[in-house]
Amino acid sequence: MPPKKIVAIPRPQRWDRPFDTEMTERDVDHVIDLPVFKKMDPKGFPKNLPLRGILRNDARIRSFEHGEVVARAGDFGGSFFLILTGRVRALREEPEGRANGRRPSSKDKRSLLGAFSQLWSNAKVPERRDLAAYPAVSGPWLMAAEDEAPRLKVENAAEAIADPRTSLLTEGGMFGEAAALTRRPYSRTYFAEGRAVILELRWQGLRDIRRCDETFREHVDALYRSRDLRAHLQESPLFHHLDDRVLDHIARNTLFETHGEFEWAHDFKRLLSESPEEVVKAEPVISDYGDYLDGLILIRSGFGRITEQEPAGLRTAGFLTRNETFGLQEIMDHWRRDAPLNHRFGLRAVGYVDLLRVPTVLVERFVLPSLSEQALADIAREDPSHHIAALGDRREATVDPALVDFLVNTRTMNGTSVMAINTDRCTACDDCVRACASAHDNNPRFVRHGPEHENIQIANACLHCVDAVCLIGCPTGAIHRDPGQGLVVIDDTTCIGCATCANSCPYNNIRMVEIRDDRGALVVDQASGNPIVKATKCDLCINQPGGPACQRACPHDALVRLDLRDRDSLLRWASQ
Amino acid sequence: MSSFAQRRVTSIGVAFAAGGLLVLVNTLYGMSLRDAAFLNGWLLFGGMVFLTLFNARKKLPFLPLMSSALWLQIHVYLGFICVALFLLHTSFRLPNGLFETLLWIATVMLFVTGILGLILSRRLPPRLRAGGERIIFERIPGFRAQLANEAEALSFNSLDDTGNTAVANFYWTILAPYLRKPRNFLGHLFGSRKHFRRLENQFRELKRYEDAKGREVLTRLAEISTAKDNLDHQYALQLTLKLWLFFHLPVAYSVLVMSLVHTFLAYAFGSAAP
Repeated sequence: MPPKKIVAIPRPQRWDRPFDTEMTERDVDHVIDLPVFKKMDPKGFPKNLPLRGILRNDARIRSFEHGEVVARAGDFGGSFFLILTGRVRALREEPEGRANGRRPSSKDKRSLLGAFSQLWSNAKVPERRDLAAYPAVSGPWLMAAEDEAPRLKVENAAEAIADPRTSLLTEGGMFGEAAALTRRPYSRTYFAEGRAVILELRWQGLRDIRRCDETFREHVDALYRSRDLRAHLQESPLFHHLDDRVLDHIARNTLFETHGEFEWAHDFKRLLSESPEEVVKAEPVISDYGDYLDGLILIRSGFGRITEQEPAGLRTAGFLTRNETFGLQEIMDHWRRDAPLNHRFGLRAVGYVDLLRVPTVLVERFVLPSLSEQALADIAREDPSHHIAALGDRREATVDPALVDFLVNTRTMNGTSVMAINTDRCTACDDCVRACASAHDNNPRFVRHGPEHENIQIANACLHCVDAVCLIGCPTGAIHRDPGQGLVVIDDTTCIGCATCANSCPYNNIRMVEIRDDRGALVVDQASGNPIVKATKCDLCINQPGGPACQRACPHDALVRLDLRDRDSLLRWASQ
Repeated sequence: MSSFAQRRVTSIGVAFAAGGLLVLVNTLYGMSLRDAAFLNGWLLFGGMVFLTLFNARKKLPFLPLMSSALWLQIHVYLGFICVALFLLHTSFRLPNGLFETLLWIATVMLFVTGILGLILSRRLPPRLRAGGERIIFERIPGFRAQLANEAEALSFNSLDDTGNTAVANFYWTILAPYLRKPRNFLGHLFGSRKHFRRLENQFRELKRYEDAKGREVLTRLAEISTAKDNLDHQYALQLTLKLWLFFHLPVAYSVLVMSLVHTFLAYAFGSAAP
């Protein structure tokens, strides 16, 4: 009998795979009676996205014993937590070494033999899928990887509780909002003090409730601003050593500002057809050249473009990312030599920027006097404006400004694993493409083509962005950060093929593909007969023992995966 | 000095040291009244086998078997050492038997195609972007067809737009054959622009006798021709970069098989045991 050319399955839906299959209607009744949810107007939620549905499918109730870690600093969990009973402590530091006890990657690495078996087990048909893995076919199942992960316990919990630098959260308290909202790892470690029962809401649930209920949105946003502000100041080497009283004083007087659009991808795609000058002009101004410097700017998330005023327009002189400062050199010069307190460079929001503006007077009074000469010199050297001012003397030690301009204009500086190709060395042999296909069941996950600047090409491969806007709209959370490595990956079993991520990706690096079963039959929707599609992209060979196959397959040292936040590695690679 | 230049200096140094050591061992082996051809022959065969493993490495990109770039570096410098071993093994003389002559020719071809490949893979990539945008090889026929179709439509419309057949005639006699297929392969490979200057002159000649409308059509046709020239440039260079391997690999496997036969013959009919 010839193989079937078409196989029909139910179209995947958002809640095919709930967060916890054991969440009952009774649990939902209990949760919905909590003050925070009771105040919400159910009519504010769309019919296909009721509050009860969100709580039933995107939330779960977990209990923790004394000392057990609820969320760990550095992990990309993306959940928001509400304490139902008991107490939770927030630690500034991790309970132990970073790697020790870290949650395993959601994608199990293949063994050497398993990797070798790909030589004969890879599919002969494109985009083959095991249909039995889909909840729409086999019924819902638990998110096993997370539940089976061994729980970490804080050693010397009593000592940690006594530490005055920890903070206590009690019944009704909420935490994890910053990680869930900004697509960043948790900045603190939270552990149960005594027995605690906690409601965990996965980030897509938090997003939808926040979108539908204004009071809740304001409450969560206020938490995010106030709590994260102080934590962020503490992360900066400039403020890290200050005592709590001074830090509190600075935090109270620091302004939290947001510039640009949170969902900036669509505007950016439109801007791509404009000239570089128009792209710069379209970016919101944070501080302009010559403006009075009322405060030190500390980037909290997103990117800022440093611009230099040239007679015929603005030149890109650099870019800033998380934890980097703007205006420090000018404040130091004012503090030391009474130089004018004006910005020597401009700063614009590239997409979306959260920043803190610490009043100049506080920086001069508390921060600069407390730093050693060596620390001042080091910080000054790292200050981008100083770095650029010295460009004339140290040109050989800096990244070509035209390259920086290109990276900022294409916004590829957002990438932590940018596929950069030196076209002066690339022979177009396509070994990288073949290697990628071999590591992905014979389906290449990138296109060896993309924007170019001189001999550098940024290929169409997922950048694994710092600010991964593709995550924002995913209704099921199928596209998510791997808890262990923070890479942006897609869970094929929960992807419903809505293409929201593909449309959101500013770089067109996510592709929707029609899938087939293991006999090569096209998989279609039972109801409409339309093909079932899935989002696919580079996962940096997360489950392969050797790491990214593309980079290791390039015989000519032409292709590299670069973290563009690390300008030294970019410089080293560009000057090879 | 760039890191690649530093690496090159180090690798050449190591290759020379290894080559010198092999010559020394070979000489000492010969001085001990043993047939050095068996020693350098086996070393050469071992080297060849290791060089061939590079291709096997390419088939296993998912295994942590060192990077391909490192394999290529070893492949290149071990290849040069194999040249030295080959010269020692043949005692710098031409072979006399038919089979040995065939093996000698195949081995020389292997070295020559290898060195040619190395030169091509270092020289051609920078030239790929000299002609304009780098284009994926498999997309070239599609883009070429697009350009040809646009030019054909322009030439048809020019009959109405200009009221004469000059542009259409120019298209059918000169441009259509040029746009439909890859052209000037050797010119692009060796960096000659003669073919394109000739075409530019033909455009210039025709433009002198055309009115504003005709000149506008010719300007667009000239742009299409320039784009097609870049496609030809990409095609010629990328095809060369792909094709040399189709000579190198079959010769490599032939040499390997012939070497096995040669080894068997040497042991079966050799004049002296090692």
